Amino acid sequence: MAKTYDYLFKLLLIGDSGVGKTSILFRFSEDAFNISFISTIGIDFKIRTIDLDGKKVKLQIWDTAGQERFRTITTAYYRGSMGIMLVYDVTNEKSFENIKNWIRNIEENASADVEKMILGNKCDLEAKRQVSKERGEQLAVEYQIKFIETSAKDSLNVESAFYTLARDIKAKMEKKQKEASNPAGARSGGHQLRNEPQRKPTSWLSRCSLL
Amino acid sequence: MESYQPEYEKNGLLSDTFWKTPQRAIPGRPCQTVKRAEVMSGSSYQQFQASVNDAWDLGDDDIISGIAETKISKAISQTAALNVINSHRNSSKNVNKNDVKVESEIVKPKVEAVEVKKNEVRKVGGGAGSSGPMRHYPGRPRPVRWSALTSREESSESKLERFQQMHDSTVIDLDDLKQISWSGIPVKARAITWRLLAGYLPPNAERRVETLERKRADYKHLVRQYYDAERDDDTYRQIHIDIPRMSPLVALFQQITVQVMFERILYIWAIRHPASGYVQGINDLVTPFFMVFLQEAAPGQELDNFPLDKLSEEQRDIIEADSFWCLSKFLDSIQDNYIFAQLGIQYKVNQLKELIRRIDLPLHEHLQTHGVDYLQFSFRWMNNLLTREIPLPCTIRLWDTYLAESDGFATFQLYVCAAFLLHWRERLMLEKDFQGLMILLQNVPTQNWTDSNISVLVAEAYRLKFAFADAPNHLHNAGKSDR
Repeated sequence: MAKTYDYLFKLLLIGDSGVGKTSILFRFSEDAFNISFISTIGIDFKIRTIDLDGKKVKLQIWDTAGQERFRTITTAYYRGSMGIMLVYDVTNEKSFENIKNWIRNIEENASADVEKMILGNKCDLEAKRQVSKERGEQLAVEYQIKFIETSAKDSLNVESAFYTLARDIKAKMEKKQKEASNPAGARSGGHQLRNEPQRKPTSWLSRCSLL
Repeated sequence: MESYQPEYEKNGLLSDTFWKTPQRAIPGRPCQTVKRAEVMSGSSYQQFQASVNDAWDLGDDDIISGIAETKISKAISQTAALNVINSHRNSSKNVNKNDVKVESEIVKPKVEAVEVKKNEVRKVGGGAGSSGPMRHYPGRPRPVRWSALTSREESSESKLERFQQMHDSTVIDLDDLKQISWSGIPVKARAITWRLLAGYLPPNAERRVETLERKRADYKHLVRQYYDAERDDDTYRQIHIDIPRMSPLVALFQQITVQVMFERILYIWAIRHPASGYVQGINDLVTPFFMVFLQEAAPGQELDNFPLDKLSEEQRDIIEADSFWCLSKFLDSIQDNYIFAQLGIQYKVNQLKELIRRIDLPLHEHLQTHGVDYLQFSFRWMNNLLTREIPLPCTIRLWDTYLAESDGFATFQLYVCAAFLLHWRERLMLEKDFQGLMILLQNVPTQNWTDSNISVLVAEAYRLKFAFADAPNHLHNAGKSDR
């Protein structure tokens, strides 16, 4: 069967229960919103193909359950992911504080070179806001992760968040490919890799072939 | 399928024996009916023993009767399952082309039988499926089509009579009740039967009123003790955010009165079961009990948007307390599903994988080739006992069988999941990539399913269990099997 896309990226959405992961994904994949979504059990799956700088990129997106008890199940999917969206709810302080725990989870379970992005969702609910945009930005700087506030309800920044993440993955992939085809670059890259402690799982790049 | 019958006939287990009294396999089993007494020796002592039997459980908190001890004999559930299969075969014409051999190790799923059945499904209630984009979302529950539940009642008048006779007897034989319930319970008899099968209502008529009063008072006390007091924040918050998003399309569940009832039931259950606590999905398991007891309180009403405030406070309290106690009993056998790391589910997912590999290797390999992991689709099936995959009236019918399963339904559910997966095998085999498979598996089209689909499903599950569960060590590798 002929492939209808140039790249396949696997993405993952994580964050506390009720922050709006499913709504964000639903907005992105169906361009629709429901005020009351059913809770996600385990993991759900969605796809959307986007056009990125002339390339067809198929995004395979896993939506996870936020509750602590599902953590064992959901972390199994960290490893194959190339990009992870960390979602918190700007009207819920605790979900913001927990972002640090989610990052630790990524460090322990995902590939070392996984692309990450922090989303502060529900930014349409200004009156209920508990976490300022500045604090979100500060956290993002601290961890050197991109950050954007979104509203799945008002369709604000959801599209651009996924495009940004996908573009970063694509750029990283193409850079590595270039290095691989350049003998000098490959040698130094290989050297660095050898010296890196083997604590982290293998890079998704080493396992991901260009489709 | 033809090849079944001789197999069972050889053992003298003709399908028409289902309605007859089974041979008692367990010595000293209390006997309650006069008819039985004539058959068995030493009956007067046994009658006496039966009438006082549940006194042993007086001090027990959750379990009132000795229901856990009772078992359906193999022959009985076997013939019940066969009856369903046979009646379906007789009522549909083209089914026989897919013969199934029980003795062969590779058993072909009865997909075609069910496909045929679909064409003759009675048209019941409302339009097909829900509207809007929600419909296409994974695990989307459909609106309650309650009429689907009530329509079958007329066709089972005689069965209802049998239930009523049984309910009226001074001491109910739970074995008999399970036998007759396994293949489905008439709506009018369901609430009482579920209470009995759950081990909440004592089989002894003399003790029923008093027990119900006491348990309902106990529940009120629990509400004061746990819910009205200072609450555990994390548990409460999780329940509180889950309830409103349980069935966003059904007006009934958007009533504050209903939401608070669910909240109390779940919160108290969670606090009293700290090993698991509240796990998302358990909320869906309250719904069938709630609906059955609500239907009892509001007979003949459309329940989709039934205003709960129309009931008296006492009626609402009964629905809530009975839902709580029955849920508690129901969850007892599957608590390991909800403990740390959800080990029960992980184990069962591996068992499912092993089972499908043995039953239907081509399907198994098809899934594996395309990178579909069983956990990706069957986790929710097990965590929510299929409540997210089938319409609510079907769940309720399925629970008739679960509650009537003697050794708890935990094992049986594995085979129901296997039968459920095999039901879609033809469609799955047509899917040529991971994405197609995963989208189908997470959105199986059951919106037009009725009770008859469930009857076929459990019969098939029974057949699989019969063929595989008792084979020694057939799943012994399940825990460690990889692809």
